Amino acid sequence: MASAIKIDGLTKKYIDVWQKQEVVAVNSLNLEVAEGEIFGFLGRNGAGKTTTIKMLLGLIFPTSGDATILGQPMGDNNVKQSLAYLPEETYFYDSMTGWDLIDFYGQLFKIPQPERSRRVQQCLEKVRLQPDAWKRAVRGYSKGMRQRIGIAQALINDPKLLFLDEPTSGLDPIAHAELRDIVASLKDEGKTVFLSSHQLADVELICSRIAIIHKGKLLTTGTIKELVEGERTEIVAQGSALQNGVFAKLQSVSSTATKEGDNRVRLISSSVEEINAIIDLVRGAQGQVISMVPQKRTLEDVFVETVRREDGDI
Amino acid sequence: MSTKKLPPSTANRPKQVLPILAVLYVVVMFLQSQIDPRVRELRQGEQQIGQASGSLNGEFLLLPLLGFREAAAGLLWVRCDEFFHSGDYDAILPLVRLITWLDPHADNVYITGAWHLSYNFTDSNERSDRRYIIPSQELLKEGVRNNPRIPDINFEMGWQNYDKIKDYVAAQEAFTNAINTPPWKGSDDYPYGAPLKTLHILAHTFAKQGRIPDALEEWQKALTRSTEQLNRDPKSFTFKSLHDTEINNTRMLMQRFHDRYTDHDHDKAVNPTTYPNVIAPPGGVGAPRPWDVSLRVKMEGTRPKVFKVAGNMNIADGARVDIRITDWDYDDKEAARKVKVSNEVLEKFKVDEDQTILMDTVSVRKNKFEKEVDMSKDPRMYSFSADTYKATFTFNIRTTSPHIQDRHGYSGEGLTDTKERILLDRRPEKMGTKLIEGQDGEGPVWDGKTVPWKQYGQPVRLVRVTYKLNRKQMLGQQSISDKDIIPNDAP
Amino acid sequence: MIPIAIAQQTVREAMRRRVMWIFLISGLFLIAMGPVFGFLSPKDSQTVLRSLGLAAILLAGLFITIVTCIYLIPSEIERRTIYTVLSKPVQRFQFVLGKFLGGFATVFINIFAMGLVFLVLIYSQEHRLPTDMFLGVVMTFFQMLLLAALSIFFSTFSTPVVNFFLSFGIFMVGNLSSVTDSLITNSNPLVSNAGRIVHYLLPNFGNFNIQNSIIHPTIEIKNPQVFMMQNIIYAVVYSLVLLTLAVLIFDRREV
Repeated sequence: MASAIKIDGLTKKYIDVWQKQEVVAVNSLNLEVAEGEIFGFLGRNGAGKTTTIKMLLGLIFPTSGDATILGQPMGDNNVKQSLAYLPEETYFYDSMTGWDLIDFYGQLFKIPQPERSRRVQQCLEKVRLQPDAWKRAVRGYSKGMRQRIGIAQALINDPKLLFLDEPTSGLDPIAHAELRDIVASLKDEGKTVFLSSHQLADVELICSRIAIIHKGKLLTTGTIKELVEGERTEIVAQGSALQNGVFAKLQSVSSTATKEGDNRVRLISSSVEEINAIIDLVRGAQGQVISMVPQKRTLEDVFVETVRREDGDI
Repeated sequence: MSTKKLPPSTANRPKQVLPILAVLYVVVMFLQSQIDPRVRELRQGEQQIGQASGSLNGEFLLLPLLGFREAAAGLLWVRCDEFFHSGDYDAILPLVRLITWLDPHADNVYITGAWHLSYNFTDSNERSDRRYIIPSQELLKEGVRNNPRIPDINFEMGWQNYDKIKDYVAAQEAFTNAINTPPWKGSDDYPYGAPLKTLHILAHTFAKQGRIPDALEEWQKALTRSTEQLNRDPKSFTFKSLHDTEINNTRMLMQRFHDRYTDHDHDKAVNPTTYPNVIAPPGGVGAPRPWDVSLRVKMEGTRPKVFKVAGNMNIADGARVDIRITDWDYDDKEAARKVKVSNEVLEKFKVDEDQTILMDTVSVRKNKFEKEVDMSKDPRMYSFSADTYKATFTFNIRTTSPHIQDRHGYSGEGLTDTKERILLDRRPEKMGTKLIEGQDGEGPVWDGKTVPWKQYGQPVRLVRVTYKLNRKQMLGQQSISDKDIIPNDAP
Repeated sequence: MIPIAIAQQTVREAMRRRVMWIFLISGLFLIAMGPVFGFLSPKDSQTVLRSLGLAAILLAGLFITIVTCIYLIPSEIERRTIYTVLSKPVQRFQFVLGKFLGGFATVFINIFAMGLVFLVLIYSQEHRLPTDMFLGVVMTFFQMLLLAALSIFFSTFSTPVVNFFLSFGIFMVGNLSSVTDSLITNSNPLVSNAGRIVHYLLPNFGNFNIQNSIIHPTIEIKNPQVFMMQNIIYAVVYSLVLLTLAVLIFDRREV
């Protein structure tokens, strides 16, 4: 699959003029995002997420390194035809109506009329903004409506690649869910989404792959499945003999074996061989396997663990 | 600064654009060099704001800096008007100076300011401070330089010389300049440069100089113009009344000329003049006869800086004797100052506080005159800081009233006195028309025959007594006597 | 097309700013006060009407131009709206040009409104078309074009407050162009060179001040068409220089 974004050693350094100190906002970032995926870009506040996106869009300029977007060098004006960007907490020209605002962005893509009006309507419908709000000034919009307008402006050019910076933060649960679904639906249209967020539950739900960035450095990247699942399985077995002679054998297979009430034993295993051996032992002792559940971590666990490990807290 | 990796198109732009920028900048500089001389022309006569801002209040500084000299000048002029009403005369001068710097085309500010200088500074006896005459004249000259297309300032210059200074030569020059103002569309006087009244006052000025043919000629020019204007606008009361004035004044002048200089016989009613369109009125009492005026002056110091001036003069009632008391070198100093003032703009309104000048007149009644001249109450005007002083008592026929001129001629051809008292002003520009032969001042003898029209060369015969006095005499510490009378200087 | 779209949007935003309306209404008020001041002043009332009107247009125009133009780009950055614009296929020079055109169109609308009221007022008093006053308004208009370009130029690298003082200060110095012109002939080479540099480097706003000349009908501008054209071309070319420099700086600006 062709890559939508390919980042190669991207670095951004600032000089803090007052403290005469060099601040590395993004440090030798290497990343690849495939076409058609929703890619979660995770990191704490100030980790370098927005800086990376701005560099990719040519809003700021890297100190070193390179990136290609949809096969073109980053910052290239032509490639912007196929891009979209929703900045975090954008204030739009709020004296304009929702319709006029989207129409204005449509003009920036030189979309001719009447095609432009058709697209504006399509976008506003897609983000489920109530039609009675279309001709009202953005100034009077709620936060959720503004965020919808933000996504609508990102969709006006039917982009191939969208950069969304915190699209769902600070919304009420219903709006949150709706917007999350809208973002998720983009995948179905074959669009690539580069989603920067700390709404880990959302990311877990809609992203196929993620990267974690911390203090400008890429810590880890991979599919959610890889990162979250691991290969651990919890086995609970019951049998009168299990807590006696067999227990030592079980312990030798898996050191996690613990005795529980009601003649039960609980084990955690991380390999198929182990599991087979454990089942053989339980069967051999006339016991029965009550449950065998694959152990799953949340993305939050992964994130916190990864970041803490980097900081040396673990 | 960290280096920035710019996209290639952005990184290369300076290289592409800078040559174009350089070309554009050359265009800008070229245009500026073309605009400069035109702007200089427009700003001609305008003083730099830097110079004016020294004494500007903050509130008025912003406007001129923004290019609103005109609006700021207008507002200041409103303030000036308040000062006129409140009598705060000293506050007016700096404002006038400032306004004319800010808006050098405010003609009425020049005119009002000069009038203010010439007329409004007076001593406790309402005698004006003559030291302000030069600043006033300089202000008008500046106004004329900055407003070559406005006749009014020249008119004011002429009027001051005519009315206040009684320098008819200067007045004639100024009025002539006013009349010669290039006409421009949009002025009320178009197609003429100046209003008709300017021709009238110029005619009067010629008459005052004893230049009767020139005066008549000027009246005729005025008549031609008013006739033309009346033809265009027959219902205009202004033109009609001006026209009537011209006819009346022409007749009056002819009458005087004939009364004073000819023996024209009324009864034969022959028109003796060759002057076109003018019928000489009947008259003819002959040319002025010799007449000894016997001016005698006695000047006494009664108190410090207070003098009693008394004397006799054998002349009709209503004649006036001009009194002038000055520092001995006042005229020389003022002449030197005149040069300096016109070179130095900032000095324009300053007077020399150390100089003393008093001018007054006393009228003759029944061959006698007497007046107390009090110079003690105004030390700022009369500082008496010089060592030597000059007091002159002059009878000038050209500034006197017509009924006296009727007897003695425009230039005092018939006047006589002792030789040391008769003073002939032989400066060429002061000469009047020679209306009778033989009267060049040598004596009361002439043959009474007429000479060609418009032949100049008749000097005015002044009668004058001059005292030379020292400081002690001025301060009343030493008495004044006839021994202090000295021969007259040349005028 | 893109700069026009940005300009339209800019005008719409700028026309909604309260401070602009305050200056516009003050300007209109001053113009309307002209006839009243005319009665009060000992000067010719027409002269007062004219000078006050031109003064009001310039003064209100000056403030409207500065307060409009110094905020155009910084407010986009502050409100982050610039991200949504520049992430679209909009080149930075198109953005600067659009902002300038929008700012200038706003200034045009304001000067047009004041100029119209002023000219109608004079027409109602004098019953003839005041062509000279029209030229005065046109000159003010081009003076403001240059000022708008200057403010936009400064706004690419300075904050609005700094920009206010820079624009205002250079406008003041530029108005003293006849002073700098006279400095060139100064006998001191240091002074004359400094004068020359300032005179040719800084925009000479003083070139456009023809108020005095047109208020006093006795002052004649020789070849007025040529003089006007020179000044108009000067304003346009100098603005072009400033905008090009603005683009070069803005190209490197991280937003």
